[in-house]
Amino acid sequence: MEKIYKIIGLVKEGNLVVMEGGLSTAEQTELIETTMREIDVEDDVENFIGIDINTLDKDSSSFFGFLKKKTVITVIGPADVVKTVEKQSNFLSMVAEINKNES
Amino acid sequence: MGFFDFIRNLFKNKQKVSIGLYGHPNSGKTTLANTIASDSFGKNIGLPSNVPHETRKVLKQEKVVIKENGKELSFDIIDTPGIATKVDYKNFLEYGLEVDEAKDRAKEATKGIIEAIKWLEDVNGVLLVVDAIDDPLTQTNITIIGNLEARNIPFIVVANKIDDPKANADKIVSVFPQHTVVPISALKKDNIEELYKEMFKKFN
Ligand SMILES: Nc1nc2c(ncn2[C@@H]2O[C@H](COP(=O)(O)OP(=O)(O)OP(=O)(O)O)[C@@H](O)[C@H]2O)c(=O)[nH]1
Ligand SMILES: [Mg+2]
Repeated sequence: MEKIYKIIGLVKEGNLVVMEGGLSTAEQTELIETTMREIDVEDDVENFIGIDINTLDKDSSSFFGFLKKKTVITVIGPADVVKTVEKQSNFLSMVAEINKNES
Repeated sequence: MGFFDFIRNLFKNKQKVSIGLYGHPNSGKTTLANTIASDSFGKNIGLPSNVPHETRKVLKQEKVVIKENGKELSFDIIDTPGIATKVDYKNFLEYGLEVDEAKDRAKEATKGIIEAIKWLEDVNGVLLVVDAIDDPLTQTNITIIGNLEARNIPFIVVANKIDDPKANADKIVSVFPQHTVVPISALKKDNIEELYKEMFKKFN
């Protein structure tokens, strides 16, 4: 999937990708599989170790009356760059350490 | 193998049930697989470890039988590698692995995760093993559940490690209100009977 490659490409360059809405289950699965293929332990310069995904969800009741979560925002970044995540019902706060390689 | 055995096996295979153990690295999948297998035939099937990504290839144990109320449920156990969105070989160094060993382990772990996902096509029931000490609402758990729902595979959320004082099984129940959650300790064999009861209901 084009979309997943684009996301991983951006994340590998050190970007945080902020998306409106959520990924489908098929896209999430593809994202994990592609991440696993891209992790390269021998490449010490790039040293891509994977991703972190955080979402902001809001409640929306489903057909059967169960509370179903609906993802409003998805943030995908390089693993271990996001230091703290705080989630409340309508609030997502993240502290990230960017430019890790240059520090 | 005699002719009648052959026919009987053919028949058996038709209704063969494969139950996959899925979840994060270190959640206790192999420990639970061992608990179930040792109940069934007195032997372990894999090696548990406190080092994450211990299981890096899918382990399959055929013909496991659990009993409940005089009934029997026979199935194959599929113990899968823990699924994660990241694998950092440097984490393994903290457990005393050499750099080369750690790098090999990381490479195998990434392949294992892909294999675990592939196996979702071949299981007809799943125990999603969640470490009750950790936050259950993770990308890994969400993606596994999404796949199970999309494929109509029945599953039980197993809240493991309730023997640990830091465990919070209620949190798991509150996060997955629409799913069956069974709190257990795979290590101490607590509440395994209850899990078997649910397995009979879901996987029979
Ligand atoms: N306290 C406690 N520890 C447990 C329990 N179940 C497993 N553990 C411990 O958790 C660690 C991981 O157990 P494993 O069974 O290897 O976990 P796993 O899910 O197979 O891990 P991977 O193969 O790496 O994906 C080991 O140190 C186990 O002893 C439990 O019920 N209670
Ligand atoms: Mg294991």
